[in-house]
Amino acid sequence: MRGLAHRGNTVAFGEYGLQSLEAGWLSAECIEAGRIAATHFVRGEGRLYIRVFPHKSVTAIPAETRMGKGKGEPEYWAAVIRPGQILYEVAGLPENAARECLARVAYKMPFKCRFVARRPSVGG
Amino acid sequence: MAEAAVLNANVRKETGKRRMRRLRKSGQVPGVMYGHKEETIPLAVKAEELWALIRHGQRVVDVRLDGRTEKCLIREVQWDVFGREVLHVDLTRVSADERIRVTVPIHLRGNAAGVAAGGVLNQPLHTLEIECLALAVPEAIRVNVQDLQLDQAIHVKDLKLPEGVTALDDPEAVVVQCVKPAEEAAAEEAEGPAEPEVIGRKAAEEEGEGEK
Repeated sequence: MRGLAHRGNTVAFGEYGLQSLEAGWLSAECIEAGRIAATHFVRGEGRLYIRVFPHKSVTAIPAETRMGKGKGEPEYWAAVIRPGQILYEVAGLPENAARECLARVAYKMPFKCRFVARRPSVGG
Repeated sequence: MAEAAVLNANVRKETGKRRMRRLRKSGQVPGVMYGHKEETIPLAVKAEELWALIRHGQRVVDVRLDGRTEKCLIREVQWDVFGREVLHVDLTRVSADERIRVTVPIHLRGNAAGVAAGGVLNQPLHTLEIECLALAVPEAIRVNVQDLQLDQAIHVKDLKLPEGVTALDDPEAVVVQCVKPAEEAAAEEAEGPAEPEVIGRKAAEEEGEGEK
């Protein structure tokens, strides 16, 4: 996948976020796994924002099937992720708790991620 | 109120993508100074010096350029995709008695009473656009949330702004509110996994059944 995330690369809703450092397809299952990992941690305290959505359908031909006979059926849904994309955000948590929460989420992600805070508001 | 800090700059004669990349590698940030119907000057500043000013929330700086000092507002800062490095800075000339429009961060102070009662603090507005004198730009707008009860909100019109500062955002906009977490969690559970419905497939299946 070419290019970097020139949109969706800033923490917009929460105070801290998880930023992707690699490109790839993030399946709906992975997004859900990350959401569960985070909500189990922030339950009753902070808020979680999911910044990506699996718009892309990924097709596959079933196993032990001969080639041809048209394109395969949609197998799963995925979000196209480019380096720099913010995947999740948390709000209402102190920094150390947010770090731990997003580290648990990062463990579920199929690519390298890093913890980021809001950018300084100087200069818009 | 933030005092004007000093930013040392050099006039930049070279332009272009490759030269600017080389400039950034040497620890400098390209920028431009304009405004007050005077000439536009391309300049270069030290990255460390600029980063220190940005980190401390300085908006109006004294730019030292060729032995003279000009008061400038940091109008725009361009970041790289990862938000690690500053790529370019725009400086606008301002005078001391001029009223300027700037965006300042909103900082929450204290522990909300509603949080102790089991609520969650939600802050939809993290920055506020204000109009004030160039020399009296507040570092941040501090909002005390100690008395904020559950299901209560603080709006822009409720903010106590420093003297001479006017908020430009919608007065009815919610700055911070205390909401019940249970509702959010229930809504989240009801939503289920983040997977869109295959409309085409379902419609095709229904059509097929109808034919039979």
